Amino acid sequence: MGERRHEMQQRLNGVFQDVFNDGNIEVFDAMTAKNIPEWDSLMHIVLVVAVEKEFGIKLNAAEVGKLENVGVMLTLLEERAKK
Amino acid sequence: MSEDNEKRRALLAVKTLIQEKQYRSAFTLLQRTALPLDDFVTQMKCAALFEMIPAGELALKPIKIAVLATSTVTHFDRAFKFWLAILGLDGQIFEAEYGTVQQAVLDENSSFYAFSPDITIFFTSYRDIDWLVPPGTHVEQTQQVVQAAVSRFVSFWQAVRARSSCAIIQMNADLPYKRFLGHYDSLVGWGGINALNRFNLELSRAIFEGVTIFDLDYIASIYGRSRWHDTRYWYHSKHPFALDATGLVAKEMARVVGAFKGLSKKCLVLDLDNTLWGGVIGDDGWEGIKLGNGPDGEAFQDFQKYLLGLKHRGVILAVCSKNQEELAKEPFLRHPDMVLKLDDIVVFKANWDDKVSNIKQIAAQLNIGLDALVFVDDNPAERALVRECLPMVSVPEMPPDPCDYVSTLSEECFFEAVTFSKEDETRSDFYRGNITRNDFQKQFTDISAYLQSLEMYMTVGEFDSFHLPRAAQLINKSNQFHLTTTRYAESELMKMSSDGRTICRYYKLKDRFGDNGLISVVILKAHEGGVFFVDTWVMSCRVLSRGAEEFICRDMMEQARSRKGTILVGRYIPTSKNKLVAALYERLGFQKGREENGTTDWHFDLKKKTPPYQVFIQTAP
Repeated sequence: MGERRHEMQQRLNGVFQDVFNDGNIEVFDAMTAKNIPEWDSLMHIVLVVAVEKEFGIKLNAAEVGKLENVGVMLTLLEERAKK
Repeated sequence: MSEDNEKRRALLAVKTLIQEKQYRSAFTLLQRTALPLDDFVTQMKCAALFEMIPAGELALKPIKIAVLATSTVTHFDRAFKFWLAILGLDGQIFEAEYGTVQQAVLDENSSFYAFSPDITIFFTSYRDIDWLVPPGTHVEQTQQVVQAAVSRFVSFWQAVRARSSCAIIQMNADLPYKRFLGHYDSLVGWGGINALNRFNLELSRAIFEGVTIFDLDYIASIYGRSRWHDTRYWYHSKHPFALDATGLVAKEMARVVGAFKGLSKKCLVLDLDNTLWGGVIGDDGWEGIKLGNGPDGEAFQDFQKYLLGLKHRGVILAVCSKNQEELAKEPFLRHPDMVLKLDDIVVFKANWDDKVSNIKQIAAQLNIGLDALVFVDDNPAERALVRECLPMVSVPEMPPDPCDYVSTLSEECFFEAVTFSKEDETRSDFYRGNITRNDFQKQFTDISAYLQSLEMYMTVGEFDSFHLPRAAQLINKSNQFHLTTTRYAESELMKMSSDGRTICRYYKLKDRFGDNGLISVVILKAHEGGVFFVDTWVMSCRVLSRGAEEFICRDMMEQARSRKGTILVGRYIPTSKNKLVAALYERLGFQKGREENGTTDWHFDLKKKTPPYQVFIQTAP
């Protein structure tokens, strides 16, 4: 995994731990809502807003719904960072 | 960024307290940390922490609230419960299923009616109103369209009223950000902005008893209309406004609910110096305070106008000031730019007792609970004392600039109302007529813990060129805490401090809230036979009753003793302004000596030990 993606994963992990109030969370590419019980459609909104805030980005309406797993999130964050 | 970190730390501390089962302390800290304009993630964290506290631990009063929304409000409801708890309410929320408002209200067997709410909120927005008419439509027809839209809402209220006695809160239309023809949309009757403004006015006119309007449009404008309308989250999940505005709406809605429950505040207790006018009346005199002309003076005048406006709307005004009563009343009686008159103040307390005891007496005299009071004071130390000892009194954090006093009070919405009657208008007169004039026992609070928490440090030194100007200013400006009312030019002070027989000391006090600067000056003169005479002792009234008097007296005694002094003599020369210190030397353990024309001399035998004063001030390193 590239260095930048790795660094982003660390930051994203921090966001997950903060939002779900659980210091033991360790995110991985294939991680989805199935892996965290509290990750329902309501918490998804909180998570997305927290990601936007941490990485200083604004997702469009379609993107918000597409962030179903961590891998997709990281890819999107990488692409945004290139712009 | 550091504010973010501070907040993060505070929330972690709350979590720890909850894990230690210290629920009340956790909630108090959470309450102090959370702000209505916190961003969405922080709002949800606060709500989550609040949800960790078991029901019943906070002794909240239950209230059943139905939220009938035409958008997604699940996140709002979480924040709403938290802001209700801050007002002492346990919000039991019923959420109508998405898109079912009409059914819920029209079907008498709906789960909404089965819930039997105390309050029903119609959580709507501008999207729920059919207001767009074809361009060129005549204003009369537009009016009909607007009326039809209003009638639709009214029919919902009537349907609810027919089957329930709950109070109804109706959101009005938050004007959209978009315009078609710019300012023309506001001008012409068929323009979007014009028509929606018309709708909001007509909606307000259509209410009946038990219905009130939540001005969503006002909230949108203070949040910032361009930020408020976040279409992304509407398109994605039908959130009606920017997620970061959730806290603001929740807090405001809680206030309106509180108003229905009679939780709005009734009485405003006001400090005087630097709150109602700029400066200190005891030192500046009524001619010298800032009120009226000039940028500072005008701000205080406008603040008084706002307070008078509150009085006319049913809020009781009281004064609680550390001042001599006659001096404190002078601006009310003599200053031409004074907006508030003595008649506007229902209880006027100006004395040297602590404010906590005074506030308790004010509540008792008005026969209202302490939880109905708001305390406004520019001094952070006084605010902290009242918050600590009387947690049920609301104490807004007053900004340093008086220009912001009005907006600070306004934003807090302490006096949210859902009705208004003749009784409200004349409330002040009613209270003035009925006030009890018993002499209340002085209830002094044990404020040692508070004084300790102030973390006070005193810096002491002998006059030097740096401190001389401020020392001279204090000597020449002070009237109240001035035992002998001496006045000296700087050159005289310079001479005294280097004549070998005079000790000139200054005292600077720092506390948790900041540096109070040079707050006292003492001039001791060595006389024959080991007699040390307190020629001058002045002190700033801002730091009264914190132990500074005792600290300084102890220092005087040590100074005299170190120069082989055997007796310390203080003198009190009475003036019209310094009654405050008439009994100071007695309080400090001196013996009364000679008295002539009201002037009294006081002696302390330095061969005896310094009295064991209780002082929570440390000498600065």
